[in-house]
Amino acid sequence: MSAPHVDRHGGSFASDVWVTFVRWTIKSVRNPFVLVVSLVQPIIFLVLFTQVFGGVATSALEGISYETYLVPAIVIQVALVAAATSGIGLVNDIENGMFEKTLVSPMNRSAVFLGKTLAEIVRIVVQVTIVLVLGVLLGAEIATGVVGAVAIVGICVLFSVWFTAFSNVLAVLTRDEESTIIGANLLQLPLLFVSSAFLPLPALPGWIRTVATFNPITYGVDAARAVMLGEDTMTVIEITQFDGMWNTLVPALAVLLGLALVFGSVAVYAIGRAASADVR
Amino acid sequence: MTDYAIEARDVAVTYADGTRAVRGVDLLVERGEFFGFLGPNGAGKTTMIKTLVTLLRPTDGSVTVNGCDAVADPRSVRATVGYMAQETSVDPELTARENLRFACDAYGVARSRRDDRIAELLELVELTDVADKVADDFSGGMKKRLDAATALVHRPPLVFLDEPTTGLDPAARNRLWAYFRRINDEGTTVFLTTQYLEEADQLCDRLSVIQNGAVVAEGTPDELKRRVGGEILAVELADADESDRAVSIAREEGLFADGAVIEPSESGVTVTARDARARGTDLLVALRDAGIGVVGFDVRAPTLDDVFLAVTGEPDGNASGTETEREPTDGVRSGPVGAGGRDSSGRSTSGTDERTGSGVDR
Repeated sequence: MSAPHVDRHGGSFASDVWVTFVRWTIKSVRNPFVLVVSLVQPIIFLVLFTQVFGGVATSALEGISYETYLVPAIVIQVALVAAATSGIGLVNDIENGMFEKTLVSPMNRSAVFLGKTLAEIVRIVVQVTIVLVLGVLLGAEIATGVVGAVAIVGICVLFSVWFTAFSNVLAVLTRDEESTIIGANLLQLPLLFVSSAFLPLPALPGWIRTVATFNPITYGVDAARAVMLGEDTMTVIEITQFDGMWNTLVPALAVLLGLALVFGSVAVYAIGRAASADVR
Repeated sequence: MTDYAIEARDVAVTYADGTRAVRGVDLLVERGEFFGFLGPNGAGKTTMIKTLVTLLRPTDGSVTVNGCDAVADPRSVRATVGYMAQETSVDPELTARENLRFACDAYGVARSRRDDRIAELLELVELTDVADKVADDFSGGMKKRLDAATALVHRPPLVFLDEPTTGLDPAARNRLWAYFRRINDEGTTVFLTTQYLEEADQLCDRLSVIQNGAVVAEGTPDELKRRVGGEILAVELADADESDRAVSIAREEGLFADGAVIEPSESGVTVTARDARARGTDLLVALRDAGIGVVGFDVRAPTLDDVFLAVTGEPDGNASGTETEREPTDGVRSGPVGAGGRDSSGRSTSGTDERTGSGVDR
């Protein structure tokens, strides 16, 4: 009996990453609705907040327009929303069997994880760029220019890692689309409000300042804002060894990197456990 | 190189909560064979198949698939097998062609041959004219066919089919059977789990019957049927109340060979015996002489249903109607995160998981 012969080409780590990246990119391009809808809330925030609070807020901001102040918060919000959909994608994959299908294929599992994450990063880059352009059109100014704009996009990507990991952990724990969406969304607004996102911390009550110190959003927003304004904006940690905005960027990026590593490891562990079923 | 496509020795799988889903199963499947793994709901079929395709790690025992050790070298096993899960697994947002392309790339089908292979498979499962429609719009049967095609992209020498036709209508089921026969004819070893006895009878060269995690019978469909003890003669009486008297007559007259089983049935008498066909008329005459009216009779070869009844004590493998196998069952066994009623990939396995799309149907 001559069984047909298996001839596996490619199969390198890079090609496994690419194959997965292509699948997720097709899925997100095919659903432009999701891409657009996930931008709607941040854009509504941007427009309404500047109109409603702009006049009041400007007095708390020393000579900066509220548009300029708010754009860094909105881009971080966009990154947050995009990161939440990562877990939703995983839940959908589990539900429609593609997760198992991938596990039973000879693809490298880390490569699969990386390919999906890369597709999400591309999406965040596109969405953040759209919001930045819109912000500038509304009157926001990026003091550090185009290089600064690129840096802000980079900060948003780095920022998104911990929340991406978090939503993936939610996904494998709940294995339910609704729970993952609710869990991720429930956290999103309170986190934004108890941070330096919408108003300078000195203008907020003491307890919010305390919470904001431990809120990852503060570090993402402060880093993006430091680049936006080209100056040291951080008030939760006072560092003065560096120059201007670097006094914000160095500690903020260090915190974001640390969070990315911690949450990322938990997510890799959780997904790994989900991939190898629980037998003795 | 071993002669076996599957060589499983004393395999046991115990879930974290202590449920022993598979307890000491031995399986030898020869290359080119169409092998059936038969059992009632929750017998351990899916756990066993998931162990063979490396989704589960056996708690005990050894598993060798296509000559590769499933525990030590799972990636070699994965590269050389195709697997069609019990629940249809296709990406609903991709088209049929894109689903197949993804599978080709995942299994490393050479780029130069990819498009030909996709066209060939679309042809095989008769989805060519809807190749560029998203799978979400497909009917349940079409999704199953697409799923089957994605399991074959790399021409695996061994294909695992886990209850591939559960929930399908007879026409869709016959169509899938034809594909499975064809790939087997071309030399592919097929490992099929099913709770449909007819399916096993139609397709399989050899069968194992599993119950409560252990193999309770093994052999060709014919061998298993022979184990029932011969042909089955059913006599229908004009007055069913006389069945006890008819049974005594059949027993007293010594009409049938040793080992015959003579029992009252709802409408008369049932005789299972090697010579049930040959001696059937004698029984009819004896009954007439005793003044018992006979309104009908039927002699038939035993079916796998009878085998099932004989070896598992259950009427058939599909006791709960169209319900798919629950494994782990009813939340007793736990998945990886302890959620009840979910399989190892976390999908809910309760009830028939037939996601039928709207729109395109054929």
